[in-house]
Amino acid sequence: MTAGSPLPSIAVHGLTGCAGELLVILENLENLIPYVRVSSFPFAQSKNEDDRPVDIAFVEGSVSQPHDLERLKKIRAQARWLVGVGNCAVWGCVQRDGCRKESAVAMFEKTYGDKSQDDVMPSTPLSDHVRVDVKLSGCPINSTQLLAVTASLLRDHLPYITSKPVCLECKLRENACVLIENNLPCLGPITAGGCGALCPTFGAACYGCWGPSEQPQMEAMSTILQEKGYEMNEVMSRLFAFGAPDELFERVKRTIPQVSVDTI
Amino acid sequence: MTEEKRRKKIEIPEICRVEGHSAVHIEIVGDRVENVQLDVFEGMRFFERLIIGHQQDEIPHITSRVCAICSTGHVLAAIRAVEKIAGFAPSPATSLMRELMHLGMIIESNSTHIYALALPDFLGFEDVHQFASQHTEEFKAWTDLRNLGCLIQTILGGRPFHPVNLHVGGFSRFPSIEDFQKIETDLRSKYALAIRTCEVLMKFSPPVRRTSEPVFFALVPENDHYGYFGDQIRSNHGFQARVEEYKTYLKEETVPYSHAKRSSVEGKPIMVGSMARLTMFSDRLSSNAKSIFDSSALAKGDHNTIWNNLAQGIEIVEAFDRCLAIIETLIQTKAEWDPFDKRQHSRAIVPPVQGAACGTVECPRGTLYHYYELDEKGFVVAADMITPSAQNTYRIERDIHEVVSQTINEEYDEEREKTLTRNLETLVRAYDPCNTCATHMVSVKYTS
Repeated sequence: MTAGSPLPSIAVHGLTGCAGELLVILENLENLIPYVRVSSFPFAQSKNEDDRPVDIAFVEGSVSQPHDLERLKKIRAQARWLVGVGNCAVWGCVQRDGCRKESAVAMFEKTYGDKSQDDVMPSTPLSDHVRVDVKLSGCPINSTQLLAVTASLLRDHLPYITSKPVCLECKLRENACVLIENNLPCLGPITAGGCGALCPTFGAACYGCWGPSEQPQMEAMSTILQEKGYEMNEVMSRLFAFGAPDELFERVKRTIPQVSVDTI
Repeated sequence: MTEEKRRKKIEIPEICRVEGHSAVHIEIVGDRVENVQLDVFEGMRFFERLIIGHQQDEIPHITSRVCAICSTGHVLAAIRAVEKIAGFAPSPATSLMRELMHLGMIIESNSTHIYALALPDFLGFEDVHQFASQHTEEFKAWTDLRNLGCLIQTILGGRPFHPVNLHVGGFSRFPSIEDFQKIETDLRSKYALAIRTCEVLMKFSPPVRRTSEPVFFALVPENDHYGYFGDQIRSNHGFQARVEEYKTYLKEETVPYSHAKRSSVEGKPIMVGSMARLTMFSDRLSSNAKSIFDSSALAKGDHNTIWNNLAQGIEIVEAFDRCLAIIETLIQTKAEWDPFDKRQHSRAIVPPVQGAACGTVECPRGTLYHYYELDEKGFVVAADMITPSAQNTYRIERDIHEVVSQTINEEYDEEREKTLTRNLETLVRAYDPCNTCATHMVSVKYTS
């Protein structure tokens, strides 16, 4: 960058989620501020320029109401690069699995009674609606990955992000396998790494919070859990709690024709 | 012929620097504030429905996702509920480490709210660049305190939020003595900063005042010191009950204009959070926190909402003292909990028991209720969660009503309206509202 030229701008937006990624970005402000101008970040500042083009827009959360969709479209229109941050934005996280169990409208009725349902939508990831240039999953995202993605985009490179399974990182850390040695229901084999195999490093089972890895062997994972004595209902509820897409859900469901849809 | 009454609307389309999305609509007819609506338009996630069918071990990890900034509180409330159902009592070391984890959240959440979200109103800056470049001392104080809160939660929980090391039954791995010493060193080096935070907040006098006294609700701490865990709720009007009875005293209703439900007690608004806790339990504070409290307006019975920022500061000082005491005890009792083999599990198996219970903790913003019904295999049959922000909503609306009513006879010009809007935002922010919580944790009508 030449001296005197304005800094590239970033915007940070949250749709429907836990605000975790907003918090990670807030906690990295001192690392970002020397290199970018934060043109919009309603969680952290009151002066926001939402109607002007921005170099990178980070979007957290899933699309769960028409209001989210309107905002997402506006953000997309203003952004050169749109980065979906966190499991909610990339996969839909726990609310997506909730919508699989019961329709959003039904949940709305049970929660709010007969209130108007105009503003309910099933929870979906960003890429169901707009082009997403970079998908950075995590629950929450890894700070180092966030900074690496930002640095890449500021240099006009699309960042290299892998979604190899947690097991790979676990092996690199030379952890004992909690699935085999401790008999825990570890979802490491089918879950995207990036966390550094955090749960197994603490001696706990991975519960899948970063969403599916590339080419997840869901059927094999399901078989292993059943061999460990987990009933199919529980296997399904564990495998899909953190937003894995419907096609994977259907794939595993086909292996168990006897299970009725109502019970999972 | 009647003179047509003056009608006026004040709209704050989005309140920035709070967690989640909310707006304020105020309607004025003649010389009366007709209507105040706090509209939380954050999308819904239906946690009480989606948790159904999950196993008891999964509950804390899923409910953690309700809210990042108070994820530790949601994790601990869920764990307390499940362990209560199972009749399981954690070891003393486990209880102390959970408390330390919770205090890490208090330090992180309170310092982020005070410095990054509330302070801009008093120091007058509008964006993060001004914060970082023109208020370097405050920016550094925030990052230092926040990093300490993150360090505590990372050592105990594995990461700054959405912890992976806290489970039903205990921790999957206890930290080492060296880890606790690291926290201790950090606490001591930043102690002066915690005190200074309170001194800064004391200087800012409230720009608005409420005209009615709030009714405060908070958990009675289960130990003899100031604390955030308990199974009894108390109000400053002499009410006390077991939290299991929450449905008998806390009424939740939907309002047509918002995604957050509104709680009330006997038709009246209540206030929960730091100020509520300090009002009732200041006698249990550590000596340094107590002397700050005693020299503040709060000790004189001034319950202006804006002092909630200071109350959060006082709780940071208290958290420092309590953390140091916990670490001292843990180091002294090392032989009881620090196993030789690090790979050995420190977590107890909690066999499932059919039943129902309410797990409660005091989050930074107030009392959090997690209620679960489990079947004999430990699967969730029904769930209900009531968050602090949902409990404060009605009181926020009442405060806005009172503040606007005081200005009603003034002529509104653009400048006055701008000041009023700014003051109302400052007021709402002082509650540190968490709209992601308020929306995602709404009570369920059991129709199925």
